[in-house]
Amino acid sequence: MSGHNESILREPLITGDNITYAKITDDILGPVENKPNKAWWIGFIFASLGALLWVVAVSYTFWNGIGAWGLNKTVGWAWDITGFVWWVGIGHAGTLISAVLLLFRQNWRNSINRSAEAMTIFAVICAATYVVSHMGRPWLAYWVLPLPNQFGSLWVNFNSPLVWDMFAISTYFSVSLLFWYTGLLPDIATIRDRAVGTRRKIYSIFSFGWSGSVKTWQRFEAVSLILAGISTPLVLSVHTIVSMDFATSVIPGWHTTIFPPYFVAGAIFSGFAMVLTLLLVARKVLGLENYITMFHIESMNKIIILTGSIVGVAYLTEFFIAWYSGSEYEQYAFINRSTGPYWWAYWMMMTCNVISPQLLWFKKIRLSIRATWILSIVVNIGMWFERFVIIVTSLHRDYIPSSWAMFSPTWVDVSVFVGSIGLFFTLFLLFLRVLPSIAIAEVKLLLKSASEQAKMKQIKEGHENKEYVTEYVESLEKFDSVKQEEYAKI
Amino acid sequence: MESNKKYWKGLEEYNNTPDFVKNNKNEFAEPIPIEDVLNEAGLSTVTPRRDFLKALGFGLGAVTLAACQSTPLKKSIPYLVKPEEVTPGIPNYYTSSFNGQSILVKTREGRPIKIEPNPNAGVFNCGTDARAQASVLDLYDVSKLKSPVLKSKEATWSEVDTFVKSELAKAQVSGKKIRLVSSTVNSPSTNAVIAEFIAKYPAAKLVQYDAVSYTGIIQANQNSFGKAVLPKYNFDKADLIVSFSADFLGTWISGEEFTAQYTANRNYKSLENKKMSRHIQIESGMSLTGTNADTRVPVKLSEQGPALIALYNAITGQALPGGTLPNNATADKVIKLVAKELLQAKGKSIVVCGSNDVSTQILVNAINAAIGSYGTTIDLDNPCYLYAGNDAEFNGLVAEMSRGEVGAVLFLNSNPAYDYIDSKKFTDALNKVPAKISFADRSDETASICDAIAIDHNYLESWGDANAYEGYYSIVQPTINPVFNSRQAEESLLVWADAPVKDYYQFVRNNWETKMLPALGLKWNDVLEKGAVTVAAKTAVAYSFSLSLAAVATSIVNSSKGLAKDVELQVYENIPMRDGKNANNAFLQELPDPVSKVTWDNYVAIAPKYAEKLKIKEFDVVTVKGNNGYSIDLPVLIQPGQAQGTASIALGYGRTKVGKAGNDVGKNAFPFVSFVNGTMQYATSVTITPTGATYELAQTQTHHSFEGRNVIREASFKEYLKNPAAGTGKSEEGHKNYDLWDKYEQPGNSWVMAIDLNACTGCGSCIVACNVENNIPVVGRDEVRRRREMHWIRIDRYYSYETPTGDVTREKEIAKLEDLDNVSVVHQPMLCQHCDHAPCETVCPVLATVHSSDGLNHMAYNRCVGTRYCANNCPYKVRRFNWFNYWNDSRFDNYLNNEFTQLVLNPDVTTRSRGVMEKCSMCIQRIQAGKLKAKIEKRPLKDGDIKMACQEACSANAIIFGDANDPNSEVSKALRSERIYYVLEEINVKPGIGYMTKIRNTDTTVQA
Repeated sequence: MSGHNESILREPLITGDNITYAKITDDILGPVENKPNKAWWIGFIFASLGALLWVVAVSYTFWNGIGAWGLNKTVGWAWDITGFVWWVGIGHAGTLISAVLLLFRQNWRNSINRSAEAMTIFAVICAATYVVSHMGRPWLAYWVLPLPNQFGSLWVNFNSPLVWDMFAISTYFSVSLLFWYTGLLPDIATIRDRAVGTRRKIYSIFSFGWSGSVKTWQRFEAVSLILAGISTPLVLSVHTIVSMDFATSVIPGWHTTIFPPYFVAGAIFSGFAMVLTLLLVARKVLGLENYITMFHIESMNKIIILTGSIVGVAYLTEFFIAWYSGSEYEQYAFINRSTGPYWWAYWMMMTCNVISPQLLWFKKIRLSIRATWILSIVVNIGMWFERFVIIVTSLHRDYIPSSWAMFSPTWVDVSVFVGSIGLFFTLFLLFLRVLPSIAIAEVKLLLKSASEQAKMKQIKEGHENKEYVTEYVESLEKFDSVKQEEYAKI
Repeated sequence: MESNKKYWKGLEEYNNTPDFVKNNKNEFAEPIPIEDVLNEAGLSTVTPRRDFLKALGFGLGAVTLAACQSTPLKKSIPYLVKPEEVTPGIPNYYTSSFNGQSILVKTREGRPIKIEPNPNAGVFNCGTDARAQASVLDLYDVSKLKSPVLKSKEATWSEVDTFVKSELAKAQVSGKKIRLVSSTVNSPSTNAVIAEFIAKYPAAKLVQYDAVSYTGIIQANQNSFGKAVLPKYNFDKADLIVSFSADFLGTWISGEEFTAQYTANRNYKSLENKKMSRHIQIESGMSLTGTNADTRVPVKLSEQGPALIALYNAITGQALPGGTLPNNATADKVIKLVAKELLQAKGKSIVVCGSNDVSTQILVNAINAAIGSYGTTIDLDNPCYLYAGNDAEFNGLVAEMSRGEVGAVLFLNSNPAYDYIDSKKFTDALNKVPAKISFADRSDETASICDAIAIDHNYLESWGDANAYEGYYSIVQPTINPVFNSRQAEESLLVWADAPVKDYYQFVRNNWETKMLPALGLKWNDVLEKGAVTVAAKTAVAYSFSLSLAAVATSIVNSSKGLAKDVELQVYENIPMRDGKNANNAFLQELPDPVSKVTWDNYVAIAPKYAEKLKIKEFDVVTVKGNNGYSIDLPVLIQPGQAQGTASIALGYGRTKVGKAGNDVGKNAFPFVSFVNGTMQYATSVTITPTGATYELAQTQTHHSFEGRNVIREASFKEYLKNPAAGTGKSEEGHKNYDLWDKYEQPGNSWVMAIDLNACTGCGSCIVACNVENNIPVVGRDEVRRRREMHWIRIDRYYSYETPTGDVTREKEIAKLEDLDNVSVVHQPMLCQHCDHAPCETVCPVLATVHSSDGLNHMAYNRCVGTRYCANNCPYKVRRFNWFNYWNDSRFDNYLNNEFTQLVLNPDVTTRSRGVMEKCSMCIQRIQAGKLKAKIEKRPLKDGDIKMACQEACSANAIIFGDANDPNSEVSKALRSERIYYVLEEINVKPGIGYMTKIRNTDTTVQA
């Protein structure tokens, strides 16, 4: 049965012994096929209360007007667009993992892509709610779409970055949804095959008649690759366009050419942090340690150091360019960011996004689940502050000093944001209950080649270079899901 | 013709067959199977598809028809017989006058909606002040009484008349006094009415009482020159103006008129002739006039008298005692230099003083006589009749009332229960008067304790006239029928006096036709059309001063000594509220104070360094306790330029019975006024103790320095003379701009503006004019605190500090300065710049804001979805967002949330719903109206046909609007001035409004 063996030097992507295809299916479908446990219920109650808060706060805003928020004549966007950009950024990791890593044949993505993509969908939903709710007259939100109309055939303004944004977000959402759903088809079919009664009927509809034939699989693979190809530019384009909401303006602190790459890096940074925040918990609660291993966690931590450092360089570059430009408004904007009335927000951003992720250079921290989890949250706090700093501290003191003003949020601002987190977790927790949180079919692909037991078999066959084997065994020390004593015998 | 033809339904009928005869007896020829249908079997039959469809079709059709009701109807009353002069959609203008100034009232469909200056207004050929602009709102004030009141109950006019007449007769018979208390009466007709009234009731007398009094000047002139008058001041004839605390550009006597005079020597036209007056202001609190001064020296209130004595000594070489300023070396030095400058400009200079102290004003008269002001800059022969109140007389009346000598008192346009120095003393005295009658339009502080309120018309419903200056008469004519059951006060007096002519219109007309028109050679209708007539002015004569000043100096020194303890407090009128009579006017409450930018409150103004010394921070609430024991808690405002050791509190706040908008706004400062040496004194000493509480004042501007940015460009007059473009940055090497956008032709008109920073005094009447013209909502104190005021035009006011090493304009550097007394101030009107490369236009996703071919930046409210990106991207921050439905939301009920007050809205401008952005439209409705008028008259548009609301209201002519495509238009000429610069031109948004540099006449021949 051994088609080809993967190099022993590669760390295993699935750990544990006696892993069979059936066990993989059982393990992953556990939460879908059984009644939820207490941890899920606790999480769900909190999350749905948050979602309820969101409904209340957004309804309050719709009923009374945007005046319910703390905005003013000078600061026209604050928590709303901060929240919007934050959620769009978080959504980024999903596409990166599912599309870019697929094209680069990074097989380790197979265990995390499903959740990451689900996270993307939900994050973009949260972002989209801001797009509508921040409008003064949200009932007319459809006017930003270039629809045929009877207003004298009034078109939209294709010069406006907000129109680009609308295209970018909606394209991103639909492609992500399509990609995610296509990937889900074989897994939904698996659930269907194991289910009875109504469940079977429902899953049968949603599996689109998946038959599991060779032809189906072949087409599935082809579609996945095509969608990955389509999605890859989106990874760059979406946040590039979001950044143009600011970069094409004339406001000092916004009007910056560095924004597109800086925003994309920041988005991947925050997206991976959010994946970690979610999966570190899900892995434990759902008992998926064998599929989401320390190798995955460490890999994601490495991406976080990389993107965090890119973001850090971007921050410093902005300062350098502000000085180098000789523009007094630009210079003031940056001095004001770091020393003005909102200095605390700036230093919060610097600490959370640039300084604290550097701790991940230490292997011990990188491999500590607790430290990683805390850092992942710190990163997302930092990324929220980054958007707050860009939006509020640029606006609150721009060109004409007479109009300088401070922004302070109202309870509605806070509730809409906290509520959107509740909404996100509600959707995610429901997802865990109805769909497999790990791509079953894709993980199964790895079992024969990249799993710990396959490697063990290779070692036992004894054809491997001793040095390599030692190195491999040493690399296993970081895994919390590997029985180390097995290897002591070798 | 009847037809006998018969038609058959069929052969059966023709033949009259037995079957037919039988069947024809029944209603239906064939039996109808009703029983079959209604029995059980019939009901349980399956409905055939066709029947179902029929029923469905019928049902749908019926429901559709039922739903076809037209949209809810709005009530409107069309003209049955259209008045000849009213054309719907076309405004009518009527002449009238406001506080003696001739104005035009714009009416639409019979509703007065806007006040404009009258171009034939003679001496008042200037703009209108904020009060005049806001006064239309008072007409539609729902807080007014709707019918006369007798003993706190609504009554009919005949009941009131019976009551008042019997009371007046009683008072007359019992030998008690009858007193008519009024603010200054300068109307010839009203005076004639009062004469008739006094003829009927000989016990009656008029007592003129002004809340803020000028008795000091009037009596000083009586003393010095034997003329008990307010002189006519001619600031336009002065090359050098020295003002001691007189806020002559704002609240002092006739601010708008003086502004026009003052700026005539300082605006761009004057500067082009290389001429600019010099203005030195010596004062304690920072007044609007002080902010415009070339040199401003803060002195304590107690130092003002000695400073005047010192000035007198330095000018005349005499040695009056007390002319030393031991604690203020700067002022001491400046006074000596000022004396030299005044002597140099002899005959072309003026010294004015805001004090109401007779001795101080006598000394000022002596100084003016010494520098030859009389006959040139001060005219005693054509005096001003705007203020004639006599403080001692009213004080005497209070004493008479408390002694029970007064049988009846009538209050016309006066409210002493609020604005008298001792309200309790006054009300106690008033309660001893058997008959108390008020003419107030609402149950105000005084009227509410009166027996009868004979509600007066609003001035827009009234007939009348005014005589503001010797030889200057203006007419008041109604522009709307009385809205409520009110009656003009004069008519009430005529009725009570049983005068032969009771109709006041007839009375005014008779008065004019018999007394004035024959001499003028005019007809009544000419007067109505012109609005004002000016009789040839008398020649102003020079007056010499020959009295001894020893007693005067002693009195001044003693008053100063009395003041010099604790904290010296100045109570003053501020521009929006003045004496508090219009406190219920929401437009005025929300008009920011031109200096502090505070709305909806008064406060204690304290200098920054002095506050540090007292360990008080901004917005700390302090208890201010006066000599007489009166104390109020007010928040502190840090006011740069305020003299050390002094504090200022504005009058006109703390009304309790004025209406919804004005009640309990701020605190009443009138009780700090004291009656000393026969006049009201507005300076006193108080103690200030922090309460520990804080209270945030609602300011429209919270950052006060311009951070060295070139949004403000200024130069000294000396630099200007060398290079007219000084300070504009133009002499620097040109910068090549590249455009992303295509250039669009503007073939017809290209509407632009020029704003002269040297003319603008910052008074803010443009703001109110714009509010009224464009239906801009008032949002209230809380929303202003949230920085959400809706004003389309604002006046940015920046402080900078003069130091030996140059001007300091940056916040961080200012914080390090030791001496913050040398403040210079600049006012910059800021409104939508109608940029040709408007940053707002490119970012709007729905094209709600677009450019017109005549250079305007349009805002299509109906298209706006409210993303607010345009406001974020506006470098000038002039866009305003409707955070709520301000004009129709009960939470913002400052004035407009009722159908009656909504009549004030300009029908040419839509009200904006929530969620919509708005901003200056360049009064597009006026542009359209002007174009239309020219088109109807088949002529091209002329320069000056179209004027902006802000421009018309501006006394300083600081705003010039017109067509840039017309090279001969005033604006084109102004924009060719070397002083022109464009705010933020470096970001290449191509703004349409050019600003002219601020020029300060600081470098004089005499070095300070």
